[in-house]
Amino acid sequence: MKRVPWTLIVFAAGLLVPLLGSRFYTFVATDIVILSLFAMSLNLLLGYTGLVSFGHAAYFGIGAYTCALLMKHANAPFVPSLIAAGLMAAAAALLFGFFCVRLTRIYFAMLTLAFAQIVWAICFKWNDVTGGEQGLPNVPYPGLDWMGSVPVLGGFRVADHFYLCALSVVALCFAGLRRIVDAPFGRVLTVIRDNAERAQFIGVNVRAYQLAAFVLAGFFAGISGGLFGIFNRGVFPDFAFWTKSAEPLIMTILGGMGSFWGPAVGAAAFIVLNQQITSYTEYWPLTMGTVLIVLLFVFPGGIAGTLLGLLERGRVRAGRGGTAAGAAPMVKRNA
Amino acid sequence: MFEFSFLFGQFLGGITAAMFLFLIASGLSLIFGVLRVLNFAHGSFYMIGAYLAWQFVHLIAPAPEGFWLAALAAAVSIALLGAIVERALLRHLYSREELYQLLFTYALVLILGDMAKIVWGTQQLSVSRPPSLAGSSEVFGVTIPHYNLFIMGLGPSIAVGAWYVLQHTPLGRIVRAAALDRETLGALGANVGWVYTGMFMAGSFLAGLGGALVTPIKSIVPGMDVEIIVEAFIVVVIGGLGSFWGTFLGALIYGQVLSFGILIFPRFSIFAVSVLMAAILIIRPWGLFGRPLK
Amino acid sequence: MKRVMLAVIGLAALLVPAHSRAQQPIKVGYPMILSGPGALFGEPALKGAQMYVEEINGKGGVLGRKLELITRDTKGNADEAVRVSRELILKDNVDFLVGTLTSAEGPAVSTIAKENKIVFIAPIPKTDQLTAPANLHPYVFRTASNTTIEGRTAAEIVAKWPVKKIATIAPDYAYGQDVAKAFVEHIKKLKPEVEIVDQQWPKLGEADYTPFINAQMGKKPEAVFSALWGGHFLTFAKQAKPLKYFDSINYNFIAGGEGASIESTRAMGADYPVGIWGNAYDAFNWDGAPPAHKDYIARISAYTKQDPPSSWPVTGYVGMQMLVEAIKKANSVDSEKVAKALLDLTIDTPIGKQTMSGKDHQANRGQVWGKTVIDPKYPFAIMKDILYIDPTPFMN
Repeated sequence: MKRVPWTLIVFAAGLLVPLLGSRFYTFVATDIVILSLFAMSLNLLLGYTGLVSFGHAAYFGIGAYTCALLMKHANAPFVPSLIAAGLMAAAAALLFGFFCVRLTRIYFAMLTLAFAQIVWAICFKWNDVTGGEQGLPNVPYPGLDWMGSVPVLGGFRVADHFYLCALSVVALCFAGLRRIVDAPFGRVLTVIRDNAERAQFIGVNVRAYQLAAFVLAGFFAGISGGLFGIFNRGVFPDFAFWTKSAEPLIMTILGGMGSFWGPAVGAAAFIVLNQQITSYTEYWPLTMGTVLIVLLFVFPGGIAGTLLGLLERGRVRAGRGGTAAGAAPMVKRNA
Repeated sequence: MFEFSFLFGQFLGGITAAMFLFLIASGLSLIFGVLRVLNFAHGSFYMIGAYLAWQFVHLIAPAPEGFWLAALAAAVSIALLGAIVERALLRHLYSREELYQLLFTYALVLILGDMAKIVWGTQQLSVSRPPSLAGSSEVFGVTIPHYNLFIMGLGPSIAVGAWYVLQHTPLGRIVRAAALDRETLGALGANVGWVYTGMFMAGSFLAGLGGALVTPIKSIVPGMDVEIIVEAFIVVVIGGLGSFWGTFLGALIYGQVLSFGILIFPRFSIFAVSVLMAAILIIRPWGLFGRPLK
Repeated sequence: MKRVMLAVIGLAALLVPAHSRAQQPIKVGYPMILSGPGALFGEPALKGAQMYVEEINGKGGVLGRKLELITRDTKGNADEAVRVSRELILKDNVDFLVGTLTSAEGPAVSTIAKENKIVFIAPIPKTDQLTAPANLHPYVFRTASNTTIEGRTAAEIVAKWPVKKIATIAPDYAYGQDVAKAFVEHIKKLKPEVEIVDQQWPKLGEADYTPFINAQMGKKPEAVFSALWGGHFLTFAKQAKPLKYFDSINYNFIAGGEGASIESTRAMGADYPVGIWGNAYDAFNWDGAPPAHKDYIARISAYTKQDPPSSWPVTGYVGMQMLVEAIKKANSVDSEKVAKALLDLTIDTPIGKQTMSGKDHQANRGQVWGKTVIDPKYPFAIMKDILYIDPTPFMN
């Protein structure tokens, strides 16, 4: 089956957002782009390796603090700071992951949670470095003045420039994630997800692969956190709190963890939903909770899963068959 | 370096803190042990139990020992709430990924928290100690409030009670069988669905009871659900998921680590529970009394 | 027929709002915690702002235009506070921002105000960082008190007590640490013979304070300064009282963090450790208050249907009042001009004259302090002989 270059198509479509001329649309689009990377990084664990991490915010937070500290206090340029954010998060993921992958299922989830809470507590308390509870406000934008001299881009605002920058970084990461899951490495991960014992039996070092996936997921979460800290103009301990870890889980479920693009679709849906609900009612938790429950019951495969399911049915009816691109839907490991 | 009475007081302080947490964690442990569901909404049940206790105390204000009736009524109400949640929604998710159950209970946290705010507002509320336990005694130079003594006795009573029911009654045998092998038990003719509902109700009852019984020593405020739930989870995990005695021991260890930890590292409190859990899971991956999950 | 004509004209007026900008309301964005633990203060602070807006609109508004308050829940998260503030600016086109509650939200939103060149008035965040020289910019202002003022005021009071061995208990995060530090430094300066015998740092939201209470009693202090706020103070006091903690220090206890506010005393009733000192943002029985205070109390009591009223609405009220007076002075809704008008602006508020310092953008906002007593007229403790200590001498 010939693959449609979705990453390129979505990237090109994303480039058009600033042309709409609305500061608000650019703002929402930036939020979506950055958090979709967060959700996609988690899905490397959740959808592809079958590991439920309840502490993914730790790596998001570490990335955010690393990038913000370098840019704010060391006046480091943007690109090295962002790479450092990814590497620091990956290093933390390596350290914590080493212990986590020795456990399975709920124990794995709880240990990731415990490590994340430790990271949060450090961010919350280490006043001299992290700014404590108040975090680090006033994170500078990267120096993107050169964009001003480029035709077309020159007319855009600073926020638009940053959006294009974030979009490019995230598109690169998506391309990287795509390569990872399509490579033999990614195939092994899905084998582990479907049956870890069998994988062990055919000679796969399950823990090593899980740890590698954990570190990669941490790296991309760190990049996403670094970008978010700049976008948010400040980094805060909340970034590593357990409620933040719930967000990419919800996004992934919302979009569907069975497909490559599911988490990104879920991130967009979650952000728009949250924005709409909070601006209409003070009782957003009630509304959001109800929406979540309906989704869990009515669209168990998420938005992308439901769409793909419809597509699949259409194809089968047309007599063509074939499988949808990306990961297969998760099997029930619980039954 | 320290006087005996001081250390004894610190030890008792740790026990109070431990039993306080065990009241909440016990129901969580019970539900996990049988249903294999980690219930985020347990904290919400606990919070609504506290609000209901306040409400019932105010409805029967003139009775001097009305508190006990109010606490029981709150716990029963929460058990009924649990039954509704389990029968109407949760049981349809048993065949799905654990993650779906987790997110379902997380959605409940959002909904129940907002409902409590709509009904009781955002102002802090408080319930007085029942007059029979308002006093305090002195033991080895340490002042012990009678209500704290009651809490210290209640924790072990719940643990022993649950142990007796589970190990020495026909009902307990069915429950243990349900925890081990759901399908076979169903094939033998037991109504597994109702066993699950019953266990969820029992766990919710404990959450409601915990919420009601802490009101004399804790203010009732919005957000108390989320504040407590992670610590309660962690205590359950430390003990070993599904092991009731493990949860009990986990709470005791947590209490003492906190109580003596702050003497050595005054700013240790925020790390206490997470560090303890990470340490125990690294040394004993399945918790103190737990077994690997299949 | 005439009515139809009027309706048509009215509809036409609605359809062409661009021509009559003067008729459009002045929009004020109000990001505030309305859910979770912080809602305890966020909700009443919103009520105060809402009442002020209704009163102003009842008198014809400002510069002939009505005020419109647009509220958003910050959920107590700094990043959510940033998100809703941007949304208010970019989507709802608000002219100004008033709001935020925690010490994390204030500086976070301040960055957004600076980026968008919009005046932002913080009515509650106490962190010194908000208006510290490194973070100050032309658009951020504060009508709240700050940690230096709060800690030093408490030290002024405790320095007069006949005690030498002093301890502190404060939540282990920026606010608690800063206010405890301000207290300790100032009392050592005022009374060098003082000895700090113990400092306890329970985490924010600690479920059980018994180990901390016991550890503190073991050091035998003669007086204690606390910075536990809201429900945390209540929980602490409920657990400390039966342990005879307050008896052991002869009730030489001073509760910062609004420990003597009516919210706390009313909730606890007879369980409150009557006899301790504490502070609040406002007190309904403040006899030394300016004449306008009595009337304000009656109005807010009627508005919130609560008697005696909460002590928190005054924060939102004064924040909005400061903004509106500056708009009047500037005769414009341009943030540039309003920011200039705010410098050294003095206004008459229900709690007395408030001046926005032109140097550090901080109002001279003190709090009321007093010893709690039982008054047979009320079923809860109230503050007696309320002191308002002018913070001007400690503001630098």
